[in-house]
Amino acid sequence: MGMGLGRSKRHINIWSILSLIIILLILVPNLNIFVNIFNEPNDTWDHIKTYLLKDYTINSLTLVIFTGLFATIIGTSLAWLVSVYDFPLRNFFKWTLILPLAIPPYIAAYTYNGLLSYTGAIQSFLRNNFDIYVNQKYFDIMSMQGTIFIFTMFLFPYVYTITRGFMSKQSADLIENARLLGKSPTSIFFRIVLPLSRVAIIGGVSLVVLEVLNDYGVVNYYGIQTFSTAIFTSWFGMGDIDSAIRLAAILMIIVFIILFSEKMLRGRKKYNYTTTKVRPIRPYELKGMKAWLAFLYAGLILMISFIIPVIQLMDWALLSYRKVLDSEFFSLALNSVLVALIASFIMVVIALIVANNNRLSHNLLSKIYGRITTLGYSIPGAVIAIGVMVFFINIDHRLYWLYQLVDSNSGKLVLSTSVVMLIFAYVVRFLGIGYNAVDSGFEKIGITFHEAARTLGKNSIETFFKVDLKMISPAVLGGFLLVFIETLKELPLTLLLRPFNFNTLATKSYEYANDEMIHEAAVPSLLIVLISFIAIYMYNKISQRKGA
Amino acid sequence: MKKKVWMLLSVLMITVLGVFVGCSSDVVTEEPETKEEVVVEEKTETTDQDTEKEEKEVEKQVVNLYTDRHYDTDEELYKLFTEETGIEVNVVKGKGDELIERLVREGEDTEADLLITADAGRLHRAKTSDLLQPVESEVLTTNIPENLVDQDHQWFGITMRARILAYAPDRVNVEELTTYADLADPKWNDKILVRSSTNIYNQSLVASLIAIQGEEATKEWAAGVVENMAREPEGNDRAQATAVVAGEGDIAIMNSYYIGKMINSSEPEEVKVAESVKIFFPDQDTNGTHINVSGVGLTKHAKNQENAIKLMEFLSSETAQEQYAQANYEYPVNPNVEPSELLQSWGEFKTQDINLSLLGEYNAKAVEIMNEVGWK
Repeated sequence: MGMGLGRSKRHINIWSILSLIIILLILVPNLNIFVNIFNEPNDTWDHIKTYLLKDYTINSLTLVIFTGLFATIIGTSLAWLVSVYDFPLRNFFKWTLILPLAIPPYIAAYTYNGLLSYTGAIQSFLRNNFDIYVNQKYFDIMSMQGTIFIFTMFLFPYVYTITRGFMSKQSADLIENARLLGKSPTSIFFRIVLPLSRVAIIGGVSLVVLEVLNDYGVVNYYGIQTFSTAIFTSWFGMGDIDSAIRLAAILMIIVFIILFSEKMLRGRKKYNYTTTKVRPIRPYELKGMKAWLAFLYAGLILMISFIIPVIQLMDWALLSYRKVLDSEFFSLALNSVLVALIASFIMVVIALIVANNNRLSHNLLSKIYGRITTLGYSIPGAVIAIGVMVFFINIDHRLYWLYQLVDSNSGKLVLSTSVVMLIFAYVVRFLGIGYNAVDSGFEKIGITFHEAARTLGKNSIETFFKVDLKMISPAVLGGFLLVFIETLKELPLTLLLRPFNFNTLATKSYEYANDEMIHEAAVPSLLIVLISFIAIYMYNKISQRKGA
Repeated sequence: MKKKVWMLLSVLMITVLGVFVGCSSDVVTEEPETKEEVVVEEKTETTDQDTEKEEKEVEKQVVNLYTDRHYDTDEELYKLFTEETGIEVNVVKGKGDELIERLVREGEDTEADLLITADAGRLHRAKTSDLLQPVESEVLTTNIPENLVDQDHQWFGITMRARILAYAPDRVNVEELTTYADLADPKWNDKILVRSSTNIYNQSLVASLIAIQGEEATKEWAAGVVENMAREPEGNDRAQATAVVAGEGDIAIMNSYYIGKMINSSEPEEVKVAESVKIFFPDQDTNGTHINVSGVGLTKHAKNQENAIKLMEFLSSETAQEQYAQANYEYPVNPNVEPSELLQSWGEFKTQDINLSLLGEYNAKAVEIMNEVGWK
């Protein structure tokens, strides 16, 4: 690492140029929307400030804090359990605990309410067989606690996956040395593993937090007023997009402060391998009571967050599949998968470029780039959708001459009535997820190997393909998987930006659920779960072969 | 090193450009039905190749639709329309307000010819945002009663629903049920079930009351209803009826067709619920029960106007109206069509006699009032 001239030279390379282009592409559609912040506030804004803002902020914060806390506890403890210990069905739990991500939270919310409600399986069973009538208040999941429960159970895998990916590659030496030195498992966990995994945990939790802040489906159905309901109320209830965007901007600033202060607090501290030996931890076999407790804990979580809702959905699907399944349904499924695959591929490539740039040039700008990738994740989907739409309509106007060159009959709106716009929006929205995964992969391998390769005369591109990419491929795959599932489930962007006659499994299940036809919604929802299931299973096979 | 960077960059740029052009030309060929149709009418000079192409296109008439109704019934109707006329119906489904926003942003270049939304207030918003245009059609004016049509003929109601009360007959003396206004009476303390203020059906109900009795009275009324709520608003319309049967409250404010859907549900427990509640139409001796419509409007920059008007007329026809009434338990707007048997069994009722545009005019005020009185 040189000084002065050498340093400034490093700033301009292929990675920084590409990153800049990408970041600009992500920023422009959002800026489009955010210029509105500088408009004078109107009467509606006063109304929002007086009647909505305080309660909504408190509700949002309560949701974020508790969900974040519980998701961290469950996610981290499970990651630690399956990485370090051996207990019955450990290998099964290892990958199945990611599965809750396959169920969109709003579907989970409908499912759990259906299960627990007066007409649901539990109460009907009690009523019809034992003539037991229960007080509804013990079965009412539509409350703050219920909302936290849903978010925790269906979002904790973010923390689990990213942290587990990190821990399983944790330098075994550290842990084994600590064991030899007679440290207890608890003290190893708190003194060594936790600090080392902090980046991964925080990466996971920040996804959870953003997802919670952004959710509209669950809170709307359960009647919990949050920041995102305020955005929708002011926009759609009062027809005031300016106030809606102002709210979105405030939300984003809060998110940015959280994300940035974490990065700043961490400062220059870097945790990564110092030796060339990267070998997985040899699991420590639990015996007797302890083994069963571990089994029960993992089993219970899996039960609540995946098995029970899936069984409920299957039950409903049996009631309605005749009405729903037809030849169109097949093409719809194909649509969903294809679009999600393309979008995920693009996102992972972009995430690699930006994350690599961040790693190679330790300046503030590259750090900001990293944060900007998560920008899309912190703005409500509908707001992004409008930004992207304006951006694409603009492009269409500029490219009209080109369209006419290709086809003299062409209409003006070409890109903005095509699936290209939708895919672009997916990228803006979910890039942060891919980025976090890839970035924590880079954090883990550190810069030593890269520098070694560079010293041996390879340039940064060769090094990237021959050294870095190979070392972080599990992280890349993990990122791809997460992004794929997210895109498959995505709703607000798809609803607003889709071309004519374009349906996905998510939009289909939303349409049914929104029309209060939860039985019909079960079929497309189950297919989302099934496809995600396959994706996760394949990922598991691949990463096993790699010895992760 | 520097050279390589630039080479890579230019290769990348070329690839991106290639993909870009590839995509855009793909799109053009992929969607001939949305674009070429207009040309059939406008173009005068054509080459041989074009004529050939045109002949094909003549058969492919289209109409492009933005709708926030997602019912399978609607899809069936569009298919029927295509069978009858040969005009294909292309659909983008979304949420009403977002589709309106999309129309605003697309401006005169929009591909959409028609906008259908499930709420008169939203249709009015589309109108005031200058997104619709008047349609003069004798078919439409004969088929649809005047109060369900925009004054300037910018939108037309195509189905109707009533916001009714579903009550527990064992706990509520039907004699005591009278008006919406009465729901604010302290005698109903802890008895009223209704969903949240973010729901458009409630917003439109409150807007209708503003139109009838003014802001002040409505605000007082809303405060009274909040006071009488059996629980904080949660769940959808079906959930309100269920809560009545579960004993959480006695009276649910909900839309009529949900009861129809619940009675015909594939889930036996839900059928039981729907059969155990009774239905009441408020304000029969006064202003009439609050109704709302799903309606359709021709977009200002519609490029397939003729086809679009054909579809509008079709939706108001007896065939289509019967379909709406039978399959979705909505009330037909066409007076020649009988409601479904189930709906008839609930009896006839007097409807609120206001022009439904007012629901849109007072929507923002309604939301404000609900926020102010703490209707969650």
